[in-house]
Amino acid sequence: MSHLLEVNDVSKSFGGHAVVRHVSFVLDAGTSIGLVGSNGAGKTTLFRCVAGELPVDSGSILLDGQSLPSRPDARARRGIARTFQIVELFGGQTVLDHVLVALQAHQGRQGPWRDLVHGGRTTSDERDTCMEVLDLVGLADRADTPATTLSLGDRRAVELARALIGRPRLLLADEPSSGLDGEESRVLIRILNRVRQDTGVAVILVDHDLGTVKAVADNVIAMDAGAIIATGSYESVVSNPLVMASWLGQSS
Amino acid sequence: MSEFLSFVLQNVPWGCTFALVAVGLVLTYRATGVFNFGFGAEAYAAGVIYAELYWHGVDRLWAAILVVFVIAPAFGALLDWGLFSRIPPGNSMAKIVTSLGVMVVLPSVVQVFVGATNVSAPPAPLFNEYAPVWHIGSGSLYVSGPEMTTMLATTMVLALLMCALRSRRFGLPMRAAVESPRLLELMGVNATRVLRGSWMLATVLAGLAGVLFAPTETPVSANNYSVILVAAIAAAALGALRSLPLAVLGGVALGVVQGVVQGYVASDSVWYQALVPSLPFFILLVLLLVHPGMRRLEGRNDPMSAVEPPAPPPALALRPPHINRVIHRFRWLVLGTLTLVVITFTPGPWIAALTIGASLSVIFLSITLITGLAGQLSLAQAAFAGVGAATTAQLAVNENVPVLIAAVAGAVVAGLGGWVASLPALRLRGLPVTLLTLCLALLADNLIFPTSWIGGGENGLNVPRPHIFGIDFTAVDSKAFLLLVLAVLLATSGVVHVLLRGTTGRALSAVHVSPIGAASSGVSVRRLTMFVFFLSAAIAGIGGALFAMSYLQESPSSFNWFFGPTFLVIVVTVGATTVEGAIEAGLGYALITQALTYLPSTVSTNTNATQGALTVLILSFGAFTYATHPEGIVEALKRSFARTVFRAVPANPAERRKRHIS
Repeated sequence: MSHLLEVNDVSKSFGGHAVVRHVSFVLDAGTSIGLVGSNGAGKTTLFRCVAGELPVDSGSILLDGQSLPSRPDARARRGIARTFQIVELFGGQTVLDHVLVALQAHQGRQGPWRDLVHGGRTTSDERDTCMEVLDLVGLADRADTPATTLSLGDRRAVELARALIGRPRLLLADEPSSGLDGEESRVLIRILNRVRQDTGVAVILVDHDLGTVKAVADNVIAMDAGAIIATGSYESVVSNPLVMASWLGQSS
Repeated sequence: MSEFLSFVLQNVPWGCTFALVAVGLVLTYRATGVFNFGFGAEAYAAGVIYAELYWHGVDRLWAAILVVFVIAPAFGALLDWGLFSRIPPGNSMAKIVTSLGVMVVLPSVVQVFVGATNVSAPPAPLFNEYAPVWHIGSGSLYVSGPEMTTMLATTMVLALLMCALRSRRFGLPMRAAVESPRLLELMGVNATRVLRGSWMLATVLAGLAGVLFAPTETPVSANNYSVILVAAIAAAALGALRSLPLAVLGGVALGVVQGVVQGYVASDSVWYQALVPSLPFFILLVLLLVHPGMRRLEGRNDPMSAVEPPAPPPALALRPPHINRVIHRFRWLVLGTLTLVVITFTPGPWIAALTIGASLSVIFLSITLITGLAGQLSLAQAAFAGVGAATTAQLAVNENVPVLIAAVAGAVVAGLGGWVASLPALRLRGLPVTLLTLCLALLADNLIFPTSWIGGGENGLNVPRPHIFGIDFTAVDSKAFLLLVLAVLLATSGVVHVLLRGTTGRALSAVHVSPIGAASSGVSVRRLTMFVFFLSAAIAGIGGALFAMSYLQESPSSFNWFFGPTFLVIVVTVGATTVEGAIEAGLGYALITQALTYLPSTVSTNTNATQGALTVLILSFGAFTYATHPEGIVEALKRSFARTVFRAVPANPAERRKRHIS
């Protein structure tokens, strides 16, 4: 049986500078991986390669054993969703609008023909589906609030709801706890774990907050200078001498 | 001396004119963060003031000094104080719209006060006439005094600016103020003063360019300055709007290449007439497509933009729900009665004006779609209208196709043009898209419309009106034809309205604000962009066909390139985000122009050109309020009215939103 995601010998460089070097790993359905490493280790670049925002120089990325389309929107419709380190919201739209945009895109119900035939109205089914996901992330009571007026923690939850509405099979969460205080991080961890439990989505998590990684990820991959230097459980990776040398500058 | 070398040397001074304007553009962009489409208009105004001062007896050198070192910087300070300092640093769209406003309004102001064609070229500020000051080689080639002045001025300006921009005392605060004035102020520097100084310096360059160029052609015309501006944009693009030496190199090279092509191609050939004036547009188009620096001109993000207050609620949200319900219930009755009354009692000239206004409204709806909804500032909508008009005229006149079917074909052809334009636009965003559409409009104006089998030659084509069910639509003031145009306007408005409030509008708004966020949500950015370019061009095409039918004529100059920015500024002024905005803008334009014909005939400036300029002036001023009212000045006035009349304003945004929905 094939894995959900296979990253095979992927490399990526910018202007001759290798940012990701021969990275390979697999991820099974329903499991989660935490990507850790210092700034510049290549985590976000690898992330963007998987999301389709950057083409890889060499190697391959397969979902269910099949190659992926090149554009990020096509990959999103194939089941790869993502959230952003710097929140990417649609200014002027409400929380509900954010989720509706993604739902209609995933269901192929977006476009001029649908608007001309149905008068552009939102159906009650669509609204109910959106409200279910908003309930999951704790935003059901703020569906009609303009998203950009929310706190950072809630804005991250909007992104999460928007990512989950298409029932993705793989969620890429880019530093979800960045900028959040301790309590907000704990709420976010609870939401992420509930989402994993309820939807069975596989997660790749990039985060500098090791507490979040430990609480969400089943396995951890540590990167340094674009290459994987350790994989395994959280405890084994953080105690790995290479990882400690990389993070603390100690000689192994 | 070889022929080639003489062509090269002869055109270096001409290239220096491009270079000087290009330096001005680069300086403005680097020092103020604004790509100043109004630079040519500022130079034109300076040229006219210089000429007027001279013809009123002021010594030419003193007139030049007064314009360049007093009037120009004062105007720069006024521009910054009144307009650009009020735009939030991260709002690059407002910066472009405001500078387009300057581009459109300033020549209109000059034309209203001075007259469209009244200013004769003055002599150059230095040297006597065109006497040679430097002989090259054996003496058959020479550089005249004014040419030498331009070359010296370009060299001096380049040297001074390079030193200033690199200096820690002047250059560093200038660049920092562009990135984030608020961060600069946190460091104890007065960012307002720095930016005002930058604007004054930039307008000194515009004044210098205006004074140096004014003597070269008579009358001093806004169009000549526009030609130089576009060539200078191409030159500045060589250095991605950032490098001063490359801008100068690009300007001189462009002048030389144009001169060499002019020298070797026979002056009566099609190539000469088409290629020579279009060369800068081709070069700019190529640079936009291949120059990585030009693709990255997305505008800056102020790190402190998060402190901006949220946008105010729409006027609709301030009205009590029961008022909205009444409006919603009775709108068709009111609209129908109003139309009936207008049709029955309006005199002939006003019927003709309304017909033109309604067809303009259809064209303006294309701007609602592409700018109001998709957030792309397209300067090519008038060109697409021209494509629709030309196709309709050719099919109806030369192929005997019924004119309504020809108009549909015209819309499809214009739509395909829009689709082709969307292909390069897929790789660009923000300012580069505006420049791309400017290139397309200029190419259409110079290459496509003058072709006789498209634009109908110098005299154009007489466009017939439809003849259906035995109804006569042919009279200029035909009420039946007005009703037909209104029906098309209603149908088009319906389509745009449904798209605005439907899934397409929501998705396009998402793509506009965050393309990467929209793509990660599964929204097909590519498909939507191509669709919106196609549909908006098709709507412009059908509007162009109706416009040509309204005038019963179509000619190569019916939709010259300058209509593109003018239309955009007018629609943005009135309101680009609503269907009513486009309708009010179109009808407003035609009705104001018609009303101005009643000005007393003793007013010496009451000509068609002045009426047009005055109408543009009246309608375009709101572009200057775009930064504070991106929804349009009419919508802002409605909001202010609603606030006054209905008093109670819900404080909670969620409550306001609920009201808006109900």
